[in-house]
Amino acid sequence: MLEIKDLHATIGGKEILKGITLTINAGEIHAVMGPNGAGKSTLSYVLAGRSGYEVTSGSVTYKGEDLLALSPDERACKGIFLAFQYPVEIPGVASATFMKTAYNARQKYRGEQEVDAMEFLKLVRVKTKELGIKDEMLKRAVNVGFSGGEKKRNEVLQMALLEPDLMLLDETDSGLDIDALKIAADGINRLRSPERAGLIITHYQRLLDYIIPDFVHVLADGRIVKSGDKSLALELEEKGYAEMSAA
Amino acid sequence: MNTLTPLAQDYLSRFDTAIGSLPGHQSSLVTTARQTARDIFARQDFPNKRVEEWRFTNLASLTKGIGDDIAEVPSASASIETPHVMTFVNGRFDAGKSSLDGLPDGIRLTSLAAELDAGNDSLINNSADHRAVVALNTAFMEDGYVLDVAANITLDQPLRVRFVSASGSVQNARHMRNIIRLGDGSSLTLLEEHTAEDGHSYFANPMTDITLEDGANFRHYKLQDENLVAYHLANTDCLLKDNATYENFSLAVGAKLSRNELTTTIVGAGATSILNGAYLMRGQQHSDTTTVTNHLVPENDSRQVYKGVLDDDSRGVFQGKIHIAENAQQVSGDQLSKALLLSDRATMACKPELQIYADDVKCSHGATSGELDEDALFYLQSRGIDAVTARKMLIEAFLADAMDEISDEAVKVYFSGIATAWLQKA
Ligand SMILES: Nc1ncnc2c1ncn2[C@@H]1O[C@H](COP(=O)(O)OP(=O)(O)OP(=O)(O)O)[C@@H](O)[C@H]1O
Ligand SMILES: [Mg+2]
Repeated sequence: MLEIKDLHATIGGKEILKGITLTINAGEIHAVMGPNGAGKSTLSYVLAGRSGYEVTSGSVTYKGEDLLALSPDERACKGIFLAFQYPVEIPGVASATFMKTAYNARQKYRGEQEVDAMEFLKLVRVKTKELGIKDEMLKRAVNVGFSGGEKKRNEVLQMALLEPDLMLLDETDSGLDIDALKIAADGINRLRSPERAGLIITHYQRLLDYIIPDFVHVLADGRIVKSGDKSLALELEEKGYAEMSAA
Repeated sequence: MNTLTPLAQDYLSRFDTAIGSLPGHQSSLVTTARQTARDIFARQDFPNKRVEEWRFTNLASLTKGIGDDIAEVPSASASIETPHVMTFVNGRFDAGKSSLDGLPDGIRLTSLAAELDAGNDSLINNSADHRAVVALNTAFMEDGYVLDVAANITLDQPLRVRFVSASGSVQNARHMRNIIRLGDGSSLTLLEEHTAEDGHSYFANPMTDITLEDGANFRHYKLQDENLVAYHLANTDCLLKDNATYENFSLAVGAKLSRNELTTTIVGAGATSILNGAYLMRGQQHSDTTTVTNHLVPENDSRQVYKGVLDDDSRGVFQGKIHIAENAQQVSGDQLSKALLLSDRATMACKPELQIYADDVKCSHGATSGELDEDALFYLQSRGIDAVTARKMLIEAFLADAMDEISDEAVKVYFSGIATAWLQKA
């Protein structure tokens, strides 16, 4: 589904990604861990198409297509979803309007029927119930005044609604309380299927107790320095990155 | 001494002939008012850049004489239904295009020209106004609306007054004088529209004089959608007595060059002056919003929110002066001006000015101008929303908190529709 080959990327002339190679097949969940500033969010942004990054070499192929040639909205319509580490506040845009516009943009892109406000509300209510989100949140401006945890839940809600093929989760667990973590993990697990895949950035082994990854990678200083199965996450938790990198 | 601008010379040379046929020429009071105003204008000419209040708005392209540029005439982008409409075509009341039947008792909406010709000359305030553009209006005022509301009258549906520039006009200036008086405790909404059905250039110079008696509540909405080669220099003065409320919202999308100057003078306790607006400019358009709020007595409030969206090479100006007199304690005055620059060639000039002579007051002012939030744009796009739609959503959101200040629901929908249509053209 996703093939990243020797990806180098810079921002403001500074190289952040220094040759990343990673293949994610349909049905797989890959966890990425690594120290602060390693380039994890940068990787997720480059995959989602945020401007400001320059890919200096390497390639990214998504479903057989050159991903880097697509605009962020095209990537989203083709099934990529990034749950942001820091979801953006948008004053003046109601959450419900935002999500309906996003939902219909994708429907339109795929040549499917757009939904009206009533139909959308029905759709979204199913998801808010599953995820324990108050409907009142839909009336508020996107992420404005949301608590840290509410913002993360809101990301999971959007993802549940848009049903992406490739989930990119950037520290979605950070800021969630224990119950919310379980609910969010359930939401993510519901999306798991043989046709879908995920890349989960996290600092905590705990999330991986709920969402069992097929692979775990350590990203440090812009490179993947170690890969393994889920036991690698446990090992990391025990020893920390410093000891692991020294090893 | 400098010579007068060509347009000023043209006006002054025509004055003596014109005065004999302008409305109210039979009245010595009106004639004296016109002559006094003419002299004030002749001494000053049109304001140039050396006049402090006009530092950011250069009238040179107007004062060299209106050219023969032709603009495209856009079709109306939104509509509103109101039971009562008064229409002025090329500066003159057009009864055929008006429907004023069935106005409730206590509300009189008439044409100034008809009032003056009927000898009702006390309408004209003879005090010599020092502002050149106002003086020009007084010297040449030809028509306008007179709204006189008795005490304790409430009308929920907006009255609508349309100023339309239509083809077949030999005259390319319109000096409209509007006079509004709301009696004690009356409450009323008025929607004033300035539009064009013709592409020739013209100079609209409306002057509106408002008096709100004790407890009156006046919602005054203005759409400036002149054609894109027109000039629009408007003055609105409002006097607020005890517990009166004035709510003004001005939406400007038209004109090559426009200035909307609002002066509110609060002489009553418990009064509230609310001035809001939005201006959407592109191409070479220039929009100037100038407000002067005078708090002359204690215990009253004023607030203002202006939002501008500036694309291409357009230019926005906001000047807001809050004056609080020495004895005017326990007054609050808030002012906010925000501009969104959609192009790196668009510019905004902003000048807030607080003149506070009392010590127990609460005042705030804020002015920002900036570009669309890139992070917000990316966030929307990352959910599948294309860049064009995402930009529109963010611009509408930017305008929303000003638009939300419009307390009349029908007008809010109407103005939002016009703003949305403006965005579609981007
Ligand atoms: N605009 C920028 N200009 C210069 N450096 C930047 C810019 N944006 C990010 N960086 C740097 O890139 C590096 C990688 O940042 P990134 O956000 O990808 O780290 P991360 O692995 O997600 O860290 P964390 O675990 O703290 O979230 C950091 O050193 C950061 O300071
Ligand atoms: Mg990060």
